[in-house]
Amino acid sequence: MIYLKDIQKSFNQQPVLKGINLKIGKGEVVTILGPSGSGKTTLLRCLNFLEKPDEGIVQVGDIQVKSKKATKREILSLRRQSAMVFQHYNLFAHKTVLENVMEGLIVTKKYKKAEAKRESELLLEKVGLGDKHNYFPSQLSGGQQQRVGIARALALNPEVILFDEPTSALDPELVGEVLSVIKAIAQEGITMVIVTHEMSFAKEVSDRVLFMDGGVIVEEGSPLEIFNAPKEERTRQFLNRISRDFSVSFLEERAN
Amino acid sequence: MTIDILFIWTAFKEIIKALPITLILTILPLLAGFIIGLAVALIRIYKVKFLCRVANGYVSFFRGTPIIMHIMLIYFGFPLLIDQISTKFDLGIQSNSIPIILFVLTALSLSAGAYLSEIFRSGIISVSNGQMEAAYSVGMNSFQAMTRIVLPQAIAQSIPNFTNIFIGFLHTSSIAFIVSQKEMTGAANIVASTNLKFLESFIAAGLIYWGLTIIAEGLSFLIEKKATAYNRGGVQ
Repeated sequence: MIYLKDIQKSFNQQPVLKGINLKIGKGEVVTILGPSGSGKTTLLRCLNFLEKPDEGIVQVGDIQVKSKKATKREILSLRRQSAMVFQHYNLFAHKTVLENVMEGLIVTKKYKKAEAKRESELLLEKVGLGDKHNYFPSQLSGGQQQRVGIARALALNPEVILFDEPTSALDPELVGEVLSVIKAIAQEGITMVIVTHEMSFAKEVSDRVLFMDGGVIVEEGSPLEIFNAPKEERTRQFLNRISRDFSVSFLEERAN
Repeated sequence: MTIDILFIWTAFKEIIKALPITLILTILPLLAGFIIGLAVALIRIYKVKFLCRVANGYVSFFRGTPIIMHIMLIYFGFPLLIDQISTKFDLGIQSNSIPIILFVLTALSLSAGAYLSEIFRSGIISVSNGQMEAAYSVGMNSFQAMTRIVLPQAIAQSIPNFTNIFIGFLHTSSIAFIVSQKEMTGAANIVASTNLKFLESFIAAGLIYWGLTIIAEGLSFLIEKKATAYNRGGVQ
């Protein structure tokens, strides 16, 4: 389904990914955790070549691309295997909510306009935005924009949906509505790779958790294994720090 | 010296007959410049091999020299070139049979292309990179991403700049009269010198230019309001 072999990537001679090997099966929900700068977003972006790996093989669905010899045509067909939900939503600013969802269907899936419209309306209904068809992204809250982003990704019916910190730019009170939409689609058996900082969400939604640090996958396993019995020291440190932050902020909230 | 207010109106009626030429000298170069400018901007943004250098040189020269110079160079230079080519290949074209307005239009188009290319370039750069990435993520190729996602936003955001250039070129078209192309300023000059009423004639011409500029600004405001409605936020 997804197969990565020896993915390497540097920015200005600074290695960010140091040989990543990974296999993800159909229907699997994989979350990637790790401190900032660990390369998790870069890894996700290598999956659809928004970042071109320096070295290694990327395969999504039936399309396999060797990074070094990747042609434009190969990259295009690799990208058409996946869809992405961005941290900053990146909705097409000049198009309405409905047009945002229709765009991929019309341009890359060659749907007729009426068909694309029907399909998009269903999806917007599903993410709870059936009443916002003619709004522009600038008129929506962050949570609503991100749900449009999810509908846009779902519309393509891709082999895999890539989530790049989908809730990191949201106000805390809007995180919940987005996470519940993601949870709902996770249960439908769509393959998903999620980079996130939401630990409890990762625990709940994933089949497998990867912990990355310093450009390598340090540890992987079921959420139970990673959160309750991490084998590696680095994973333990990271989780401790996160849970301490969490309990401190929780106490602060109580105190206020 | 007294000012003959009534003559302003007489001059006005005479000068406005040259309005079509002024509009032709403004609009045609801008249309040609629109195409040249877009092409040059894309070549420079994508750093197309070899062409990029040509484009850089073109923009540098035409923005780095006065437009009056372009008109002079083309008005005096092109006939030489055309005559030489014509005799060499026996084409039978004579440069003095080519209407002057064609030289002026060529010069103004080349200038407009250089100025507009920078407006396109800044417009395209101002569209956030995330828009391009989102387009790629839904499976568009670079051409589709550019034409469907980036350019519409870049052009909508550049409308005030386009208006600026339009107004600039409306006024610049007046220098065509130095090569005896009779547009509004040329017409004003003729009315002035035949009647020896310079002040009145140029006041009349000034009023026409000003009026045209106000109309252009009004139109631009309406178009901008419509084209960038998506960016305004708030609730419907």
